[in-house]
Amino acid sequence: MHPEWENAKQRYHSIQPPEGLSAGVEEAVRRGDQARRRHTAFRRSLTTALAGCACFILLVNASPTFAQAVSGVPVLGPLARVFTAREYALEDEEHQIKVRLPGLADTGNEALEERVNHEIDTRVQALVDEAEQWAQEGRDAYLATGGDPADYTPVMIDADYVVEHQSERYLSFVVTVTQTRATASQQFFPYTVDLETGEDVTLQDLLGEDWKETVNASVKEQIAQRSQDPDNFYWDGSNGIEGFTSVRDDQPFYLNADGNPVVMFEEYEIAPGYMGIQEFEILPQGE
Amino acid sequence: MKYDFQQKRQLLVDHILNHQADFYRLAFSYVKNQDAAMDVVQEAIVKALDKVDTLREPAYLKTWFYRILLNEAMNHFRRTRDLIPFDEALNDRPAVTLDPGERLDLYDAIERLSFPEQTVVKLRFFEDMKLEEIARATGANLNTVKSRLYKALKKLKSMTGEEIDHAS
Repeated sequence: MHPEWENAKQRYHSIQPPEGLSAGVEEAVRRGDQARRRHTAFRRSLTTALAGCACFILLVNASPTFAQAVSGVPVLGPLARVFTAREYALEDEEHQIKVRLPGLADTGNEALEERVNHEIDTRVQALVDEAEQWAQEGRDAYLATGGDPADYTPVMIDADYVVEHQSERYLSFVVTVTQTRATASQQFFPYTVDLETGEDVTLQDLLGEDWKETVNASVKEQIAQRSQDPDNFYWDGSNGIEGFTSVRDDQPFYLNADGNPVVMFEEYEIAPGYMGIQEFEILPQGE
Repeated sequence: MKYDFQQKRQLLVDHILNHQADFYRLAFSYVKNQDAAMDVVQEAIVKALDKVDTLREPAYLKTWFYRILLNEAMNHFRRTRDLIPFDEALNDRPAVTLDPGERLDLYDAIERLSFPEQTVVKLRFFEDMKLEEIARATGANLNTVKSRLYKALKKLKSMTGEEIDHAS
């Protein structure tokens, strides 16, 4: 090695850690364990769109034509409705699973209802199965290495949904699956359907041909705005992680109460993990 | 083989305890202050333990933790430079602001590089990491790491006025 480099390396390694380093490190380990327990408890008690969740997004275009036909439904009034189709909880030493699955009804399109309900069911069940298998293997390894069964942390899964938007025309809800321990814990499954045709609704349907440009411009502007807060940080390439450039063709989104699409980004997709899931409302153009 | 949470946590804690001085040194080299360096290391440890579930492959523990540590260091780096725009502070700092004839010591020259360039140089030459590992630790792809290193060496050469190609 060139002597200049030897010198530089030596200078770097001459940085002396302070005496308090070990104590500081041990304190941080304790704080880290506490933080994890707190978050785990939080995840256990709340079924919200937290870190490490899989979201299904469903957008239903309900036409006013048959809205009339279902006006007797109490919750949503003259609209197609989302109801709790399946609810169960399983709690033993190996699992804590809580599932509340939505179902779609009174849309006037049975084929659509069947497809949507079946898909939600299949997707949630696949995640539950995967998490369970993972937990089983983890538990075996834990016990095989001398772990105390009483201390074992069970697999935790919460599946729940929130209706984000309901109007004459659209119905949008987000299914959230929060897995505390499974590997497939950070996935989005974008899912949008047009009620009349039974086809998926896309951002292009909502925003037109130039939807990507519209969404990208809006997201970039909002990133710039949020970045003014020193607590917020988005990847910008400066630390070697490329920042936001464009939404994907299948970027997940839902409709909010105002009927505007809200695009969602997974943890780590455009920002460090502490920023969590990022959402951007796309306001209508030229209004 | 899959690891459960307890095993991953243990691996992580062992790794942290064994290499705490290395982590402190790297943190200090950016923030130049004992308390700040300690904060960076502690924050990285807290976050790593909180998120240890997301570590999929224990073989990548080393680079996974470096990535968290580097993010913390960068956040700090950024906060201490909030008087100038972030991009300017990190990317567009003039490579050479020397009087004609002035020559910098190599170590001082490294400190004038952008955050990502410093990182590649420090990990490669001071921590003796492979470029593939640096790519994982910084979340950049291998080619980016290579080009960053290449540019950094070029800047260092112009600042020190020496032939300092590492290989030579």
